[in-house]
Amino acid sequence: MVAGELGSEPAEAAGRESASGPERTPQAAAPGRRIPGNKGIWVGISCEFVEFAVMFIIYFVARAHYPEAFQQGAERLSKTAGTVITLLMVSSGFLIACSVVAMRAGRRRASLYWLIAGFVVALGYPVAKLLEVQWNLAQGIDGEAGIFFTVYYYLTFNHLVHACWGILGMGWVLARHAFGGYSAEDYSGLEALASYWHATDIIWLILFPLFYVLA
Amino acid sequence: MNGLSNGLSIYRAPALAWLALSGLTLLSLELGNWFHTASWLPLLVAVIVWAKGALVARSFIESHLAHPFVRRVLAGFIAFAPAALVLTAFFGDTLARWTQL
Repeated sequence: MVAGELGSEPAEAAGRESASGPERTPQAAAPGRRIPGNKGIWVGISCEFVEFAVMFIIYFVARAHYPEAFQQGAERLSKTAGTVITLLMVSSGFLIACSVVAMRAGRRRASLYWLIAGFVVALGYPVAKLLEVQWNLAQGIDGEAGIFFTVYYYLTFNHLVHACWGILGMGWVLARHAFGGYSAEDYSGLEALASYWHATDIIWLILFPLFYVLA
Repeated sequence: MNGLSNGLSIYRAPALAWLALSGLTLLSLELGNWFHTASWLPLLVAVIVWAKGALVARSFIESHLAHPFVRRVLAGFIAFAPAALVLTAFFGDTLARWTQL
């Protein structure tokens, strides 16, 4: 579907660029001073980073006090679940990044298809998490199974909540995109959603080794 | 054909980043299995975590083109957890003593 559009839309995009000039595109203005998306989303992302930085402090203080519990706890978690969630996060981030790149190049339809793919892959995260929690409970791993698991549930559920907000946002952006809400000249809403999702991805990339790798 | 390759070339940077992120994820799992008793494993994991975060920031968010505030927020957050991981691994007793209630 993407390849099918490659023959026609780049020419349109090139025509637009030569006619209007890159300075008409707010997203392309002033390299080194750009705000990816909009200022509002970066207020939100900054708050999200502060929130998780506090939670990381809790993790590291608990780890310093109970090093054995943290080494043994990681061995009991499902590495498969952690890896699947990581690959889902990274892959959905890639697909959404492609959606932004396609929109910037003027390929609106390709951008929509990339976003749909990113949305579908992102939906795999709550599903994988649900299956992981069911597996955990079957192994007797609940929130009272020890300090490691209390911290694990606290941080990973918080991340799941943030990811669900991102998925809801993705649904909204997808609906706007489908009805022509974005163009090569103005796609700040799409890029704001992408920035939030990538920030949530960065947080998971930190959580993954802390809970699943460092056994 | 030329148009097709030109069209696909815009996706090269995110595709390479995705491959690198997936590869580093699988590599870190294997390293965790191979060297789980090594005292330097947290240092290696910290480097991989930092590299993955920096890769997402640069290739997906394009932080190198962003406003200095955005660049600093991302750089600070991405460096925080790896630094704390190294400090906890090598100075865990001191941190536990400082945070004793």
